[in-house]
Amino acid sequence: MSETVQAGDHKASVDGDQPRVGVFVCRCGGNISDIVDVDAVARRLSDVRGVVCATTHQFFCSDPGQALIEQSIKEHNLDRVVVAACSPSLHEITFRRAVARAGLNQYLFEHANIREQVSWVITDKSAATDKAERLVRAAVARTRRLAPLQKRRIHIRPSVLVIGGGVAGLTAARDLAARGIHVTLIESSPFLGGRLAQLHRIFPTGQRARDVVTPLIEEVASNPNIVIHTNAELERASGFIGDFHTVVRIMPRGVSEACTNPQEVIDSCPEETVDGFNLGLAKRKAIYMPYAGCYPPVPAIDWRSCTKCGACFEAAAGKGIDLDEKPREVMIAAGAIVIAAGLNTYAPRHGEYGYGQFQEVVTLAQLNRMLDPTGPTAGKLTVNGRSVRRVGFMHCVGSLQHEGIHKPMRDGRINQYCSRVCCTTTMHAAEEIKDRFPGVQVYDFHEDIRTYGRRHESYYDHVCQQGVAFIRFDPLRPPTVEADTKGEFPLVVKTTDRLTFGEELEVPLDLLVLATGLVARDMSKLVDLYRCSVGADRFLLEVHPKLRPVELAAFGLFLAGSVQGPMDIAESTAAAAAAASKASALIKAGQIELDPFVARVDEHHCSGCKVCLYVCPFTAIERNDSTKTARVNEALCTGCGTCVASCPCNAIQQQGFEDSQVESELMALLAGKPPAEELLAAV
Amino acid sequence: MDENEATFHSGGNGATPWQPRIIGFLCYWCSYTGADNAGTARMKYAPNVDVVKVMCSGRIDPDLIGKAFANGADGVLVLGCHIGDCHYISGNHKTMVRMPLVRRVLEGMGIEPERFRHEWVSAAEGEKFSRLVTEMTEQVRALGPLNWRERLHACGVGHGMDLAPWGEERP
Repeated sequence: MSETVQAGDHKASVDGDQPRVGVFVCRCGGNISDIVDVDAVARRLSDVRGVVCATTHQFFCSDPGQALIEQSIKEHNLDRVVVAACSPSLHEITFRRAVARAGLNQYLFEHANIREQVSWVITDKSAATDKAERLVRAAVARTRRLAPLQKRRIHIRPSVLVIGGGVAGLTAARDLAARGIHVTLIESSPFLGGRLAQLHRIFPTGQRARDVVTPLIEEVASNPNIVIHTNAELERASGFIGDFHTVVRIMPRGVSEACTNPQEVIDSCPEETVDGFNLGLAKRKAIYMPYAGCYPPVPAIDWRSCTKCGACFEAAAGKGIDLDEKPREVMIAAGAIVIAAGLNTYAPRHGEYGYGQFQEVVTLAQLNRMLDPTGPTAGKLTVNGRSVRRVGFMHCVGSLQHEGIHKPMRDGRINQYCSRVCCTTTMHAAEEIKDRFPGVQVYDFHEDIRTYGRRHESYYDHVCQQGVAFIRFDPLRPPTVEADTKGEFPLVVKTTDRLTFGEELEVPLDLLVLATGLVARDMSKLVDLYRCSVGADRFLLEVHPKLRPVELAAFGLFLAGSVQGPMDIAESTAAAAAAASKASALIKAGQIELDPFVARVDEHHCSGCKVCLYVCPFTAIERNDSTKTARVNEALCTGCGTCVASCPCNAIQQQGFEDSQVESELMALLAGKPPAEELLAAV
Repeated sequence: MDENEATFHSGGNGATPWQPRIIGFLCYWCSYTGADNAGTARMKYAPNVDVVKVMCSGRIDPDLIGKAFANGADGVLVLGCHIGDCHYISGNHKTMVRMPLVRRVLEGMGIEPERFRHEWVSAAEGEKFSRLVTEMTEQVRALGPLNWRERLHACGVGHGMDLAPWGEERP
């Protein structure tokens, strides 16, 4: 019957011949039929104009059920199909396929939800049957207005852009390249490795973080399928799934691989500045490498502190140093984009638990640098030249914030979420301190401890047995940090302990470590360029947390790692592997079929007012300057229909949700009221 | 009016007591899934809200709301994703701006504000959905039938609201 649904024939069937509708009411093995009298629904529907067959079945989603639909389409020469069953989110695809198998256009199908929205929520059988009947009538009315649609087919360019050179970006790049896909990896800083390179030892293996990240970087750097751009900033972007064009600005590094004596060059630099890699705990030169063994193994110049004195140029004998290097732009074409932009650690406010006030208050990330034997304190636990005897950990700094207690962030919002990794990281640091510095006493101040996940809780138990003192404070009355007046210790933490039923405690300390939470970084440029969805917590938002966990709503964009929310390393790499696998499935298919529910502009009615251009969240509408009318780019349109509701001329219609279709549905739902004709006659 | 005059469903026999007829416009990604969620959890609610699915609450043309009232709806419920959760980034921002205007226009046309409600329901908020449906039903039941078209015709206006040309589709 495929020939009967060609566009021309379809038009004839609406204007002249009656559409031939088949109605299939599912019992769902009693799930529906126990409440809804499905036979009555089918019987009542069979009287509706245009319905040529109305039948029931135990399970239409089963093979025999689907076969019955297919057979009925052929037998009754149906050109429209309505299935009344469970929610369309479950079996709409199943029935569309069955319809397509019978040779009918799959979009001449309508699904009525009489299980989740009728039989499971209504107790009165007669009311449920009436409601089911109404919904099926509405579906029939709608289906009579449907037009055959074709999925959009889009060609996919066989390359991927990975944004971010941390563990997630590196993992995604490696996995994509392993499938033979060409990858361009861009990193905004001069070196790869991201936050992982800054960590010390990592849970649960106890490995040095650098021993994890270095081989990964080597794998990526040596892969001929991967091109790496460091110091790369996003500049402009255009295009859509299958054909994204991104222009990045490569900022000057000042040093090239031709420089053969990097250490001498670094030593020659007279300018010192704060060492960002060591989180302000040390100084570094204006020309620098963050750590031995970093990648690329070429120093970079920090232009904010460089005075262009030329000392490095002389030390390198002019080889590989260019103090006048200019930024350059590179255009990267890609079929898909993996976003692995990572996150930030929360920066405590000045005075928050004494941070910034006392040198003895540091963040957990800073402690990690201190514990590293290659770090700024050479692994010694000293503050102000004094060995630490007592260390305290303060949990949930910048996480689990409470309205009225914590000052909001710059955007007026507080961080109500749990940052997930800080509890275990704190336990890990506490254990390492107990292990390496046996004399040091460790105190743990928490509102709550959430060592979630596999092996984390047992690890917490283990740390509890190492002699760490746990103190639980009231989140509405957080501890205060003051200078110790007795003088033996620099700090004192005053708090109440809920574990001892409100005992007032004063704990003198040499070092207070703030377990700072994780926050989204400022991604406004990225969000703007690629039209990303952002959640209330400012992290990027996936389409569906369970069904499509690494995809963004805009097609062809995938999320890898902690750009999506706080994650530990294992979760980041798992997410990156998932994003790589999703992206490679897209690339390997070579083309993609998208739902045809896109907007269409009727040029004869368009006044060229451009309202639709402003409301479109995906910049999918452009203005055709020659005709002065709007035009929809089908590859960019995601089919929300916002432009349809905004058009003052009704010149835009959304395929599958045209006004006539939605209104027929509305009319059928409201039927039973006096018909318009009678009223008109009465006036 | 005599409660028996207006019947509940198309197959009604005139003896059924009046039931409010409410149209719920739901976005597919959050609110429709939220309604499914209420079903999966077997929450019970009033049968009076008939759902019309759209992909995004941004698609809900104020015209559709007017036409629902003009053609017999006693109430209209508009549900979309919470701000920040929109599948289409900012479709619901347009809804957020439009709906208060719709309410004012409806009020100006003699429709009680209690007959129109706009809320956010996430995919997880089945409980909120079922509560809204029941609240809305009782709210509208308390007001009685709207019969807006009749009211308008009595004033000699309202022809423009008739659903031509597909009005003939009425079963």
